Amino acid sequence: MQLQAMSTTMASFSPPSRFTATPSSSSSSSSQHSKPHLLNAFLPLRPRPRPKNTPLLLFSPLKASSDNGVGTAVELPPPTEQQAVPEPPPPAAVGTNGSVGGAVAEEVKSVVSGFVDPRWVGGTWDLKQFQKNGNTDWDAVIDAEARRRKWLEDNPESSNNENPVVFDTSIIPWWAWMKRFHLPEAELLNGRAAMVGFFMAYLVDSLTGVGLVDQMNNFVCKTLLFVAVVGVLLIRKNEDVETLKKLWEETTFYDKQWQATWQEDENSSTSKKE
Amino acid sequence: MNSMVLKSFLGLRKSSPETSHFAVHQKHAAISFPQKLKVIAGKTSPKLQGRNLRVAIVGGGPAGGSAAETLAKGGIETFLIERKMDNCKPCGGAIPLCMVGEFDLPLDIIDRRVTKMKMISPSNVAVDIGRTLKPHEYIGMVRREVLDAYLRDRAKENGATIINGLFLKMDMPKDKNSPYVLHYSGYDGKTGGVGEKRTLEVDAVIGADGANSRVAKAIDAGDYEYAIAFQERIKIPDDKMVYYENLAEMYVGDDVSPDFYGWVFPKCDHVAVGTGTVTHKADIKKFQLATRKRAEDKINRGKIIRVEAHPIPEHPRPRRLSGRVALVGDAAGYVTKCSGEGIYFAAKSGRMCAEAIVEGSENGKRMVNEGDLRKYLEKWDKTYWPTYKVLDVLQKVFYRSNPAREAFVEMCADEYVQKMTFDSYLYKTVVPGNPLEDLKLAINTIGSLVRANAIRREMDKLNV
Repeated sequence: MQLQAMSTTMASFSPPSRFTATPSSSSSSSSQHSKPHLLNAFLPLRPRPRPKNTPLLLFSPLKASSDNGVGTAVELPPPTEQQAVPEPPPPAAVGTNGSVGGAVAEEVKSVVSGFVDPRWVGGTWDLKQFQKNGNTDWDAVIDAEARRRKWLEDNPESSNNENPVVFDTSIIPWWAWMKRFHLPEAELLNGRAAMVGFFMAYLVDSLTGVGLVDQMNNFVCKTLLFVAVVGVLLIRKNEDVETLKKLWEETTFYDKQWQATWQEDENSSTSKKE
Repeated sequence: MNSMVLKSFLGLRKSSPETSHFAVHQKHAAISFPQKLKVIAGKTSPKLQGRNLRVAIVGGGPAGGSAAETLAKGGIETFLIERKMDNCKPCGGAIPLCMVGEFDLPLDIIDRRVTKMKMISPSNVAVDIGRTLKPHEYIGMVRREVLDAYLRDRAKENGATIINGLFLKMDMPKDKNSPYVLHYSGYDGKTGGVGEKRTLEVDAVIGADGANSRVAKAIDAGDYEYAIAFQERIKIPDDKMVYYENLAEMYVGDDVSPDFYGWVFPKCDHVAVGTGTVTHKADIKKFQLATRKRAEDKINRGKIIRVEAHPIPEHPRPRRLSGRVALVGDAAGYVTKCSGEGIYFAAKSGRMCAEAIVEGSENGKRMVNEGDLRKYLEKWDKTYWPTYKVLDVLQKVFYRSNPAREAFVEMCADEYVQKMTFDSYLYKTVVPGNPLEDLKLAINTIGSLVRANAIRREMDKLNV
């Protein structure tokens, strides 16, 4: 399972298929390693012509003991993170080794290997892996995308031309969004509106004796109703009042800045008249 | 995420009641010019005896160069004061297609023609835009030193006097017909040295000396908010340069800039990687590192050959005109929001101001006065206000937060959006477009924003 996961992820990562050999062989040799190694690497510890001759600065070291016989003493990574310092491979092995070695030293603290998930294939979510009872589980897709974005926010990654991200949220159908986000909120707001409405109807009735049907025929009551609905829609938290005020100021701020040169003269001309 | 702290904007006025009074009457895209403002035409000004009108332009960038050319062609005695003739400005260097035509630029000034752009969202969704461009359409990338020198030389050919000197200060005239006295230190081609103090008497001044304009200070034009643009020029290996042959990239995200974007623009033989910000200027280095990281795979093993930074105005100065002194270009603050474009607007405003002077002085025969220069402001505001406002709205909506940026990049994948964007960028007109498509666009925009914000809420739940 672990092997399978790893090879899928390897396949989805940058091309040289030779890489797939690396983790499988290393993980088989390190079978005592009990923690699932979901995050993988391509640290080429053996000499190989690299595709574009680029030293890979993004890597998380694997237990690469298999490849060149260098017994790398690495700490077992904790379950959800990946951390280990590889021994620098034999100096002659890799051309830019010096920089790799140097980079290793400073990479210790911030080693990440990019976002990896078995369902993230070819720069988008593989919907076939989200099946539930024969249908796509859109909630899971939304969750997965949220997790990916969160990961990227905390660990920004380089954008890559070989593995472009092509996921578009519009493939998730509108009703999935509605069901998950709109409906609960709508329920909440309608509930509030209903409570306020009932209370106000009772209050007005007790104060004026006008029943509910007659209230609806009255203009003032209709206005109040409108205000109540708009209020419930716009002001959902206490902070919203401030937010709305700021938004209003924002919309006109730029205009004011442009007008400044004209207003100036208006003021000076009016003051001259005085 | 991005809380805009708005200082209450008073411009140069001391009393605030006027502000709120005025604000109530503001509409979004309409400007109502105060009708009470009386514009006195220069036709009543005295005819100049025995000489032509003298105008000094402080600053020899695109604004100064094009203003000088127009003035000189109009028969006015023009003096262009520029402090560094070979100034290599830190600049994106992008000019729209219309500038080539309008300013008769020779095609060899343009180092590269960008016909594709890549927008990259915070979660690295990459969208290519440029499919809708016709074969003759492109964004020109120029080297500022080449462009500026060309415009200045052309002005000189038309009769302007180019002075190599540093503007120091200006004496205000005592009445409507007295000259302005400019104090500058002339360099005269001497390399190094302090230069000698000289003075120059002119009838009108155009301040084209950029974001840190001294002319603006001299006329008390007031301050503006500015962004810091930080850029590193990186020489990358040739095989990587092929990718950037005619492609520019824009990276958006909180890591790259909280209120602007990071970019990779190709230049003549290297790329310029940079970012900018208004609100978090102290963190600019951090943003630059993040930009480099995002572009890492493509600029790996590049060598940084130059690091530069410059302020970019965010909005016009409170006062762009005073007496017979007008500001143009960056000095006036004519940089658009959202894209941060300034070269075209600088050149165009220089030209417009010069045209107003030429017209008001009847080709240099009469004295000008403030009213003539005001005509330039009127024309400018009327022509370009919609462009500025639309870009401002775009920036406010789409650069607010990461979900907004994700939605922005998603929207850019749409062909209609691409066509509208490029049409308005390349030709500098706000095109109305097809109403049905606009409606679809509006719905899609709202949809994208809603989806992105919904995912954001899920992300927040993950955190907690």
